[in-house]
Amino acid sequence: MLVIRSYMFVISLFYLFFTPRALAADSVNIILKDHLFMPAEIEIPAGKKVRLIIDNQDDTAEEFDSFDLNREKVLFPHRKSVIYIGPLSIGEYRFFGEFSPNTAQGKVIVRESTDAP
Amino acid sequence: MTRSFFSTVLLCSAFSLMSLPVLADGMVVDKVYHPYVLPFEREVEWRLLSRQTDDRNVLAQRAGLGWAITESVTVEGYMIGERDPADNFDLAAYELEARWQMVEQGRYWADWGMLFELEKRHKISAYEATIGMLFEKEFGKTSLTMNAFIVREWGQAIKNEWESEFRAQLRYRYDPAFQPAIELYSGEDFVGVGPAIIGLYRFAGQRQLKWEVGFVSEISHSGKDHSFRLALEFEF
Repeated sequence: MLVIRSYMFVISLFYLFFTPRALAADSVNIILKDHLFMPAEIEIPAGKKVRLIIDNQDDTAEEFDSFDLNREKVLFPHRKSVIYIGPLSIGEYRFFGEFSPNTAQGKVIVRESTDAP
Repeated sequence: MTRSFFSTVLLCSAFSLMSLPVLADGMVVDKVYHPYVLPFEREVEWRLLSRQTDDRNVLAQRAGLGWAITESVTVEGYMIGERDPADNFDLAAYELEARWQMVEQGRYWADWGMLFELEKRHKISAYEATIGMLFEKEFGKTSLTMNAFIVREWGQAIKNEWESEFRAQLRYRYDPAFQPAIELYSGEDFVGVGPAIIGLYRFAGQRQLKWEVGFVSEISHSGKDHSFRLALEFEF
C-alpha cells in the first residue's frame, strides 16, 4: 500500500513540477564593484517575477542578503549570479552584502506596472 | 492566482498521501527542513525535544556539525542522545544527513529540495534510512514549507519496515527575530499541530544564530501527548 501511495505521490509531484512553469521574468543587471551595488536602487513592476543578474567584479565573494525579499545568495568573485525575486507588492525592499554591510547596500522599489521602466 | 491556489491544494494532497496511518516506534516531532543550501555555509546545531505523555517523559537531544560541500549540497553529522526508561541520558544514535537544493530559489512556481539521512542506533543493530522531498512556496510574507519522507528501518534489533512522515510549517516573516509559525507533524500513528516561533540574529560577516521553538500537541488520540522542541543553529 505504501508503495502505491509513493508512486501516486511521485506522479503528483511531477505533474506539479512541470505544469506550473516558471513565469517569464524580466532581467535587471546590477554590478558589484568595490563593495558597492550599482545601481543601488532599482525599480521593478509590481506583480511580476524579475531576474536580478549581479555581476560581482570584486576579487572577493559577497553574500547578497535580504530579509525583505527573502533571499540569501553567495555572489562568487568575477562571476554573474542570478537571483529571482517577486512577484512583489508595491513597496521598498532593502538588500545588502553580508561581508560589506556598510557599503554594499541597495533597494528594490516596486511600483505599479505602468510606472516602472 | 486561482491556478496557484489549486496547485497548492493539489500539492498538499500529494504530500498528505505520505502521511496515512503507519506503525509507531519513533519520534515524529523534529524539524521542518527548508530546501535551501548556501555555499561556504558551516553550522553547529543543537536540538532538544521533550515529549510528555500520560505515562512518561521522553527527552532527546542532538548535536550536529554541518557544512556545504558544493553550491547546492550540504552534509551534516549528528550525535543523538536520549533518556532511557531508567532515567539515564546517554548516546543513543548517530546520523549522517545530506540536503540538496534542486532549483534556484524563486525561479519556478515553488522551490524544491531533497533530504537523505542514514541513522545507526548506538551499540545495537538498528538502522534507519530516509529519503525526503522538501518543498517551499512563498505567498507574500508567508512561506509554506512541506516535507514528505519515506523511511526504511532494518536490523537485528528492530523490525524491518517501511514508514512515512509528513511535516508542514506555515511561517509569517514578520521580523528576522520573530517569525510566528504553525507546524504540523504526521506519521507513525501520530498527528500533531502547534505554534512555533522562528528567528535569527546576525553577527558580522556570514555568522548568524537561528532559533526555533515549538509546542506540538497530538490531536488524533485522547490523553496527554505534548512535545516541546527547541533548535539552535549557529552558522559561520
